[in-house]
Amino acid sequence: MRFTPRLPRDGINVSQEHPLKEATVLIVGLGAVFALLFILLVWLVDIVLLLVPAEAEARVFSSWDLSSLEVLSDDSRQAPVQELVERLAAHWPESPYEFRVEIMPGDEANAMALPGGLILVTEGLLDQVETENELALVMGHELGHFKHRDHIRRLGRVTVLTIGAAVVSSSAARVSLADTVGNLATRSFGRDDEREADRFGLELVQAEFGHVAGAWKFFERLDASALGIDRVAAYLSTHPGNRDRIDDLRALAAARGWPLDGEPVSLALGLR
Amino acid sequence: MSPESIEVLISLLFPLVLLIGTYLIGTLLERRHFTDLRAREEHFRGFPAITFENLPAGWEATSSDVVQGSVVVSLDYFKRFIAALRALVGGRVKSYEPLLDRARREANLRMIEDATSRGFHAVINVRLETSRMASARGDGKGTAGIEILAYGTAIRLASPPS
Amino acid sequence: MQFPIIVTNTETVPGRQIVEFYGVVTGNSVRAKHVGRDIMAGLKNLVGGELKGYTELLQESRQEAAGRMVEQAQSMGANAVVNLRFATSSIAQGAAELFAYGTAVRVE
Ligand SMILES: [Zn+2]
Repeated sequence: MRFTPRLPRDGINVSQEHPLKEATVLIVGLGAVFALLFILLVWLVDIVLLLVPAEAEARVFSSWDLSSLEVLSDDSRQAPVQELVERLAAHWPESPYEFRVEIMPGDEANAMALPGGLILVTEGLLDQVETENELALVMGHELGHFKHRDHIRRLGRVTVLTIGAAVVSSSAARVSLADTVGNLATRSFGRDDEREADRFGLELVQAEFGHVAGAWKFFERLDASALGIDRVAAYLSTHPGNRDRIDDLRALAAARGWPLDGEPVSLALGLR
Repeated sequence: MSPESIEVLISLLFPLVLLIGTYLIGTLLERRHFTDLRAREEHFRGFPAITFENLPAGWEATSSDVVQGSVVVSLDYFKRFIAALRALVGGRVKSYEPLLDRARREANLRMIEDATSRGFHAVINVRLETSRMASARGDGKGTAGIEILAYGTAIRLASPPS
Repeated sequence: MQFPIIVTNTETVPGRQIVEFYGVVTGNSVRAKHVGRDIMAGLKNLVGGELKGYTELLQESRQEAAGRMVEQAQSMGANAVVNLRFATSSIAQGAAELFAYGTAVRVE
């Protein structure tokens, strides 16, 4: 037997396709598929959840177990805020909800609409609003979420996202990118909802006070202090840019002829 | 820019910079390794390292001993990312091909270098084995490597090839 | 890897005649990754390529496993081990077993 030394041609066991090409195809393709799936699922969940009548929702969630939430049950500011919400809700007589305000500890200014008519308000928000009109717009905004049933749709979206994130991260990918993109998606998804809620809120303010003066002062202050102050970051994260919403509210007031001059009512919430 | 958008930017940028950086370094190292492998294979081209279980007819051995070479390798971050995406879709996982090819050739060359440094003339019954090192954290995120082992029986011949 | 007796992974010892065989001899070594090495390997893991620390670690433990196998063979009076096989398995998180086995024989 004779041995003739030879080497095989180089590169047969390695794909010649450029890795960047594969990366592009995979990222774009998978991104498109996930985005489509997400939109489709959110759409389906929206449809299904909106089939549940508001009365049924109010009944199911009326006995929210607040023990899992850190609410300040004996805060003296609860009663005046509750009273303000009820006055505003009186201008929306067909509402199926019985609204309940609870105050949560925390420095970030934020308010949330939860299923069943529960409105959570942070201490930070109460510290930062200066007039009743400012607080009324924020509360009216939350009532707007109830009117459009955004709270229940958000619940659906969060569920879809949580399940989606679990599916993606259980595969080897484990990319925090998925989380970030998902968050951005729900956020921008909600922009129109927020605008609609703002408009309804301003309508209630006008109905209650007879003018809209000073209603968006709070947003103007947030906008001015938006640089580098992280206590407002939380509010920003679930709500659209303050400049945009102020412009939108101003345009709405002009279009409907709501007066911009009037004396804002001072806020008597009592000291902590 | 709001603090929130800065945060989002950072969380998007950091993986991106890491991906690009590891892609560039990984590609450079890979290219250098392939060049080095080819050069060493050329150098040892005349040294028979074969999978025959027995000596080729006509060869006469005076002594023998086992020789081996091994290497543990891992994918760079960029290629791991691509492989993870690929795993969602299925199909050919191209990013692993160069890694395994490099590792097998490296282990084989190390075995040959072991044999030549000890004065052997050939290696028969070459076996290549692949095994995965468990990740330290066991969650798929820890450092896990792939080990390739090449081993065979080195032969000293009565009449060495010139 | 060098041993005091002949070791091959073929069924014979090329150039020698097997006159007696004694049975299977085995050697093993379970090692866990060293913390320091793990950190270095973690960094190296980003750019890919060889993880030298792990290569050395597995080499050492394979050496130990084969050494134990040879010791078994010597204790049986063998002067060679043929048909050597290696096996590696991940036992637990970060730990691997290196296993070597073969047949202890006596050659002329
Ligand atoms: Zn809102």
